Parts: sequence; C-alpha cells; structure tokens
Amino acid sequence: MKFLCVPCDSPMKLQTVAPPERGSLSIVYSCPECGYEIAMLTNAYETQVVQSLGVRIGPESDSKALGQASAEAGASGATCPFAAMIPGTEDAQPFDGAQGRRGQVAEPVAVRWTAAAEARLANIPAFVRPMARTGIERFARERGLFEVDEKILEAAREFFGM
Amino acid sequence: MKRYHDIVGDGGSGILEQVAEQRARITDGLAGVRHLVAVGSGKGGVGKSTLTLHLAGALRARGLRIAILDADFNGPSQARMAGVQGALFVPGSHKVSLPRTTNGIAVFSMGSVIPESEALEFESAAQGESHTWRATREFALLGEILGSFEWGALDLLMFDLPPGAERTVQYADFLGPQTSFLLVTIPSEVARGVVARSVAALSKAPNRLLGYVENMSGYYCRDCDAIKPLFASPPFDAAHPSASPGMGIPCLGTVPFDPELAQYCDRGFPLAELPDTPVGRALDHVAQQLLESLT
Repeated sequence: MKFLCVPCDSPMKLQTVAPPERGSLSIVYSCPECGYEIAMLTNAYETQVVQSLGVRIGPESDSKALGQASAEAGASGATCPFAAMIPGTEDAQPFDGAQGRRGQVAEPVAVRWTAAAEARLANIPAFVRPMARTGIERFARERGLFEVDEKILEAAREFFGM
Repeated sequence: MKRYHDIVGDGGSGILEQVAEQRARITDGLAGVRHLVAVGSGKGGVGKSTLTLHLAGALRARGLRIAILDADFNGPSQARMAGVQGALFVPGSHKVSLPRTTNGIAVFSMGSVIPESEALEFESAAQGESHTWRATREFALLGEILGSFEWGALDLLMFDLPPGAERTVQYADFLGPQTSFLLVTIPSEVARGVVARSVAALSKAPNRLLGYVENMSGYYCRDCDAIKPLFASPPFDAAHPSASPGMGIPCLGTVPFDPELAQYCDRGFPLAELPDTPVGRALDHVAQQLLESLT
C-alpha cells in the first residue's frame, strides 16, 4: 500500500507505527513536501493479514519498541512473526520428550551462554529457540559443563550426527 | 497525479522488500538441493506420510542424501514415525541443524516441537477469524523453516504435504515450478476421485507430475503369505491401467498394507529393520521408479 499527497503529487513517507491496540495499528505517514500528516488505522483483520506474511510492520527504528510493546500487550511480536506462536515464546517451558509434559523437570544449575553462542541462538527461529536452549544446556550439564560456547554447540552437532 | 507504479518503494514499511528477502533466503537455503519432491494426494488418510518416510528410507539405502520436511503443520506425523520426537535443535553458525533418523535422513517436523497433546496455535489480532489469515501464516512458517534450517547438499528434499486438493496447489505455487509432485491414492473410488481432482488442479501449474502410487493396495497376510483385497474396489492393475481411468499420470507402483509396517511407523523404526516382505519390495520398486522419473 502506498500513500500519495494529492496537492503535492508526492509519495508520503512512513513516520511512526504505534503499538497494536485491540488489534489495531496506527501508522502515521507524512508528505515530505508540505509536511501534511495522515494516519492509517487498521482493523484487526488488516493487522493480522499483514502480520501473517511474517514481516515487520513499521520503520526499522520503531520495530524494537513495537515488538516490545506487542509482547507486553500479549500480541504478536512485530520483529518476529513467530514470537507469539504458542510453543515458541521465550518464556515457554520446553517440552521434554522423555518426561512428557512441559515444565515438569526443574533444571538444577544455571548454565551461562557466551556472547558468541547466544548470537548463534538468536539466529534461529523463535519457535525452536526455547527447545534448543534447554536441550543444549542439558547436553552441557551432562558433560559437567556450565557454560555453553561455540565448542559445545559444535560438539552437540557432532554428537547428534548433524 | 502519480499512480501506484509511478512511485518507487512504499514509503518506508518495506513489506514487499521483506517478502522478497524471505524468498531470497529460501532460495539460498535450497541452493544445494538437487530435487524437490512433494508427496501429496488431496485425500487424507491414504498413507502419504508413511510412503514419504519409507520411500526416503529406500532412497537413502541407495546412498542418496535425503531430507524430509513434514509440511503438515497441523497434523505432523513424521517426528514420531522417524523417531525424532523431542529431538535436539542445535544452532549452527547461521542456521539450525536438523535432527536425523538412525539411517541418516534429516527430518523437520512440527511434531518435534509441539507435543501430540497440543495443537499448533498462533496468537492473532483477529481472534475467531482464523480462516482469513491462517493459511498465509502457515506458509510464512514454511518459508521460515526453509530459510532457517540447514538443508545443505541433498539429492532429494521430500515434502510431506497436508490433505486437501486446494492445499496441494497452494504448495505448488509456494514451492515453485522446480518442485515435482508424487500423488498417493488408495483403491477406493472416493479416494481416486479426490486425487483425480488434485491431478486436474496441478495440471494447470507448471510443476511436473511424476505419477502416483496406489497405497493399501490389498493387505499382506503373513499367515497366508499372500496379498488379499482390502477395499471393495479392485486394486489398481498396472498391467491394465485403463481399469483405473481418469488419473492421466503414470502409476509408479502399488503398495499393499502391512499391519507390521504400521507398528513400525508408530514406534519410529526404519523400514530397513523390517524383514524382507512384499511391502518392503513394493516400496523399493516405487523408490526406483521415482528415481528414474526424476532423471
């Protein structure tokens, strides 16, 4: 969708995207020539259809704030379209296939992640991130290690024949 | 006054650019894959997933590098059948490594992510109206999976498709013309009719239709060591294809039902562990036909 300032015959530029409110986004465009501003207010269906494409809505600078606000509001994150998928939230307890239901096994000792390992984790889709984190931490603990670095990740790949 | 196509860009939201980036990521992720084969039907319950897994196994036994993407996100079964439920996902330098079966087939299935007691759900701004956006969301998820996992160098990436003739065509659209289709039916007129609709729908797409497999083509009775009828409709007779008119694509083979094979699937054992049986030989024959149809 594009917006044109008719008096100036000039394409309008996206300025801000307000966090979703009851499924509605408020997206402000302005004309670079005359400064006239308009707001596009989406209904929930329009918001959802665009989010379903797996895209970020809004300018880069706004995406973090929007994503944070979305998460706080319990709506889909704007930076990652899958952040709100039920099994994939960062806070979700991972499923332990051996134990059955989620969250029944308390992890005894915290495992730290190096920045490089954390960066690798950040590269993967949000919906598998909690599972990956828990699985790797378990892999490390089983070897008496309490820090996950890139060597551990490579060892896990090798161990599981990947 | 300027019209839509007179204006470069979209003023800053970059929606089209982001979609193009997603497509580029998918193309990059699949650059090392020689053949993309989608196993579909249109009809549910005909054994698409079982055939996909065991054909993959038969091809793997020939030394080919194989991966399976279980595209049935709402009813994933490959994780259980391939023995990768609760598998570990390990982040690589850029992408995620895929779990593998004991015989080395890489498998992605939502069944590895979501326990069978739970359904795949997405939060939505449009509650109660999922029919308006759900398919788009699922295809975006498919794109994310294709672009985020390490498919690497493969001879075949097999897609285990969900049921629905219209869904089959949507996958053809999404996966592009380089994806070939193998359809699965059973010896029932109802199933053949639905698969014929899928054939008709896919015929309008540029994708190659490799042929179809008639699954559950009788059942293998171990006591008698014979194939007995399973459906009232006669099994497809490859020697007399006119007996099953209307499909219009080659039959790559028939596979009888074997209760023991079903048990193996439930337990996640590979076909290689199944003793030499008519079913195993039939699957091996179909795998060979599939391979020949691709070359």
